[in-house]
Amino acid sequence: MPEVRIIAKNFMDMVASMPAMKLDKLYENGFICEAILRSLPPLAKKYVIQMLQIDVPVAAKLLEEWVLPDGVSKHRVAVDRLVQLRVFLEAVDSGTLPRESMPSNITVRLPTLENLEAYALEQWECFLLQLISPIHADKPLNLSTSLMKVFQRRLLSQRDKEAPKLTESGFQFLLMDTNAQLWYIIREYISNSEERGVDAAELISFMLELSFHVIGEAYSINTLTDFQRSIINDLADLGLVKLQQGRKGSWFIPTKLATNLSMSLADSSSRKQGFVVVETNFRVYAYSTSKLHCEILRLFSRVEYQLPNLIVGAITKESLYNAFENGITADQIVTFLQQNAHPRVAERIPCVPENVTDQIRLWEADLNRVEMTDAYYYDEFPSRDVFEGACDCAREWNGLLWEDSKKMHMVVKTEVHPYVRDYLRRQK
Amino acid sequence: MGYGEKGGRPPFKKFKAYSKFQDDPRKGIVEDDDVFGGDDAYDDDEGKTKDFSKLELKQDHTNRPLWACGNGRIFLETFSPLYKQAYDFLIAIAEPVCRPESMHEYNLTPHSLYAAVSVGLETETVISVLNKLSKTKLPKEMIKFIHDSTANYGKVKLVLKKNRYFIESPFPEVLKTLLRDDTISRARIISENVNGDGFTISKAAGEIEGTHDELLNEAEVAAVAEEKEAHAFEIDPSQVENVKQRCLPNALNYPMLEEYDFRNDTVNPDLDMELKPQAQPRPYQEKSLSKMFGNGRARSGIIVLPCGAGKSLVGVSAACRIKKSCLCLATNAVSVDQWAFQFKLWSTIREEHICRFTSDSKERFRGNAGVVVTTYNMVAFGGKRSEESEKIIEEIRNREWGLLLMDEVHVVPAHMFRKVISITKSHCKLGLTATLVREDERITDLNFLIGPKLYEANWLDLVKGGFIANVQCAEVWCPMTKEFFAEYLKKENSKKRQALYVMNPNKFRACEFLINYHERARGDKIIVFADNLFALTEYAMKLRKPMIYGATSHVERTKILQAFKTSKDVNTIFLSKVGDNSIDIPEANVIIQISSHAGSRRQEAQRLGRILRAKGKLQDRMAGGKEEYNAFFYSLVSTDTQEMYYSTKRQQFLIDQGYSFKVITSLPPSDEGPRLSYYHLEDQLALLGKVLSAGDDAVGLEQLEEDADEIALHNARRSHGSMSAMSGAKGMVYMEYSTGRKGQGQIKSKPKDPAKRHFLFKRRYGAT
Repeated sequence: MPEVRIIAKNFMDMVASMPAMKLDKLYENGFICEAILRSLPPLAKKYVIQMLQIDVPVAAKLLEEWVLPDGVSKHRVAVDRLVQLRVFLEAVDSGTLPRESMPSNITVRLPTLENLEAYALEQWECFLLQLISPIHADKPLNLSTSLMKVFQRRLLSQRDKEAPKLTESGFQFLLMDTNAQLWYIIREYISNSEERGVDAAELISFMLELSFHVIGEAYSINTLTDFQRSIINDLADLGLVKLQQGRKGSWFIPTKLATNLSMSLADSSSRKQGFVVVETNFRVYAYSTSKLHCEILRLFSRVEYQLPNLIVGAITKESLYNAFENGITADQIVTFLQQNAHPRVAERIPCVPENVTDQIRLWEADLNRVEMTDAYYYDEFPSRDVFEGACDCAREWNGLLWEDSKKMHMVVKTEVHPYVRDYLRRQK
Repeated sequence: MGYGEKGGRPPFKKFKAYSKFQDDPRKGIVEDDDVFGGDDAYDDDEGKTKDFSKLELKQDHTNRPLWACGNGRIFLETFSPLYKQAYDFLIAIAEPVCRPESMHEYNLTPHSLYAAVSVGLETETVISVLNKLSKTKLPKEMIKFIHDSTANYGKVKLVLKKNRYFIESPFPEVLKTLLRDDTISRARIISENVNGDGFTISKAAGEIEGTHDELLNEAEVAAVAEEKEAHAFEIDPSQVENVKQRCLPNALNYPMLEEYDFRNDTVNPDLDMELKPQAQPRPYQEKSLSKMFGNGRARSGIIVLPCGAGKSLVGVSAACRIKKSCLCLATNAVSVDQWAFQFKLWSTIREEHICRFTSDSKERFRGNAGVVVTTYNMVAFGGKRSEESEKIIEEIRNREWGLLLMDEVHVVPAHMFRKVISITKSHCKLGLTATLVREDERITDLNFLIGPKLYEANWLDLVKGGFIANVQCAEVWCPMTKEFFAEYLKKENSKKRQALYVMNPNKFRACEFLINYHERARGDKIIVFADNLFALTEYAMKLRKPMIYGATSHVERTKILQAFKTSKDVNTIFLSKVGDNSIDIPEANVIIQISSHAGSRRQEAQRLGRILRAKGKLQDRMAGGKEEYNAFFYSLVSTDTQEMYYSTKRQQFLIDQGYSFKVITSLPPSDEGPRLSYYHLEDQLALLGKVLSAGDDAVGLEQLEEDADEIALHNARRSHGSMSAMSGAKGMVYMEYSTGRKGQGQIKSKPKDPAKRHFLFKRRYGAT
């Protein structure tokens, strides 16, 4: 982190003090880039031009080696300025973390990696369950209700005193894989931080910092700033870290979820093992103990049995229509079933029986056969001549949707309505 | 169906098996006559999730293959190494609900447990094996249910030994209970060789064969095969029926198992017949036979095998083991011929020892033992018979049959069974069927009239083993043409709806395309099924193909079938629902269904069965063999009509057996154009006019008249026949068709108000 906090002295200082996101946005403009380059101290200018040719991060140590001993202070000013302006981004590796992991002489029993992963997923599911249907959650989280509301903002809608319902994006959210879901929540967490009086920049930097910690190592809570300490509980509730109380103070242990934050979304190595078997008779068997999975299956199937480690359901026309009505698409359902196929059937091609996927798509297509066209309805024509004339007029504009010549009724497209209206006026 | 049930009404009120425990009978019910799809029992507890998540998982649950729920539902993983053993065990104690690839579901029911007990499994064995296989601790409710259901079942046997009837039981106290009943104690014959209770005691042989023994060994359960003392008392042969009646669940509730100690039967003459060496029963046929002959005696009961899986070999094998006179009952004359043929094909029976008894051929066997093949109707017929028939029937009545072999037991109404069984005296009854209807009144009747289900094969396993054809099932969606759909929606055409969606030109074209494709490109043999006679006739005549329906004579039928089997020019035949059951057409490998009996799951399965007989080389058919599919089943449905709804219901049974229906939406391909019929609008409109001007009666369902002795059925069914059926009006319509003449005057038509006629036709009629 830069040593000096920025005080806005001039225009460039003001630019430098802008929030990261806004600053990054500014760099999309070529003039700004040139202006900034011009405003830089000479050494900084040189660094920028030199490093334009290098694609990989350059170690800070290496940079220091470029300068003579009497240039050190100028070097520091240049680098700080570049960092402030986000021309240089600090890539932190574990060596330069602001804290060391727990020394091995302290005897706290650390969870195994598997346990930690299980913990993280359990915590995450618990959070999701709390998020979408608080009634079903069995252990309450510490997340404040207001924060929960923020997360639910776009996922749930609530009318008056009714129980909250999932919105279209809510359904889609549930069918996403864990990483995508995590990103969504973290984005909401950050973008809403200002309202809660939390500094977004600090939040982002802490999150990024977290992602460079080593999974499964314990770090002392005492090394955290006050601000960081104030949000660590939220992160624990989301399953990003596990908190552990030792005899000599508290520790936090980053989980896979935390370290995944800096990885690309498409990384499939983070994907969980599948658990769903779909049979040709539209029955769904999910090897899972998770209530969340059960709720997800309920989105598009009828859950019939819950066994200790198996959920049994059936995909029916009704259950699918229900899903479609809630804005879930056939593709999302099929993708979910495919991505989560149980290893027993994952090898099979296709892993979800063709007749089932076909049928899901056909049922969806069935609902889309009706096309809506905005239209005007005319009746009570004064004479058959006028009626026929109006029909011809609409026909000429290619806008006659329907006519009943016996009763003299017709329906025309909205865009043709003005012409027909004009025609009728002229007839009077 | 085959016995003249009228259209929409199930002949019996729906019956729920005693449901103290089974709170979810919906999957179990397969009522076949749900013409208008009225099985809302399915939706009984819609939406309610049954929560058994609190059951305690065992430590090594991954090694065990099943979950058992408190309500009797059992889930079985088919990929478990213990699958085969678990399947054999479950099929003996539970009813299969669905059996697709990876996960099977079963229901424990009182009937299924009765069957379990009757093949020699005991209460404690059932519970302990189930417990070994279960991933969780067995729910208390299930244990209690097994105890409750089996407390009385299988405790008492009726044994016919040296032509004396004995009531036998390993539990003397049960016999005492029975003897407290007046009827039974009066029927008792006191013999001399008795112990203190007055019962004779003998050692019963333990189970000799039987696959659950293997399982038990593997599951390390105490063997059931230990020798037991059997206590018995003799009863008066003339009182047998009364005693049996008293033992039924609605009276003393000790239903008796019937076993035939045929090896010690010295009274009835032996019949010299053996299986020929080339008759090699397949593993599942062996298994079903071993259930029947498990303890050295012949048990009465039902064996369920898919069509084409070789039921007749099982029947013939059973007769060869018993080696006594055998009465074989089939549903119609064609299938009588086929059974007689099967006996001669598989066994060494001499020509003069086998005979057929139908309205057309009244043969009698020579010697003192033999096989008679006849129809249910011939035996149950109550009216006046010819002198010759009367003599044969008298012989059937008076003979003591070693085996009563009953084919297609699912189609025979209970009252017919009662009659047949009361007329014929048999030591052992074996029922055969492909599609056992479950949990309605019929299964109850079958259970007590014939016996419990002894064995039921898994369709998918048989497909994988290459024993039956691997069928590609497809549902072809045919959009209604605009004009047909407009008429379909009109209220005044409500009685013509079926005719309209069956005659939909797009369906006709799809059918024509499929016939052309399979005949020319693949050289297949095709059966087209239509329940609607109007459609059957129209299709068959337009496409110039032979057809068989109710009124086609036996001679004509045989001729057409023979041509289909042997001639290169006859590759497609049209069948009405007479072809659903037991007409054996082993050559066919494609079925196109253009109309059907509403939502009947059984009909769908029976029809599929027509092409299940495996063809070609075994190794090609086995899983991973050369041919992926070697048979094709197309169901043509007109979209947006009732048919869609029925179609889904009809497929349920097959889907539960693991079959899947692929939906095809683009038949015929658009480039076929004028090569197929009804390409031009005017042709389509002419067809529409024909449908609309036909009488309502003419376009309805076929009412079948199965056999010459059908009059008996007319009498029996008077209670729920319609007036027109009794007046013979419906029969008249068929007669008109059978003349093959066309024209307005031939078909009864309702006088129509010309003003109500569709404008398209007004125009057309105006022009002529």
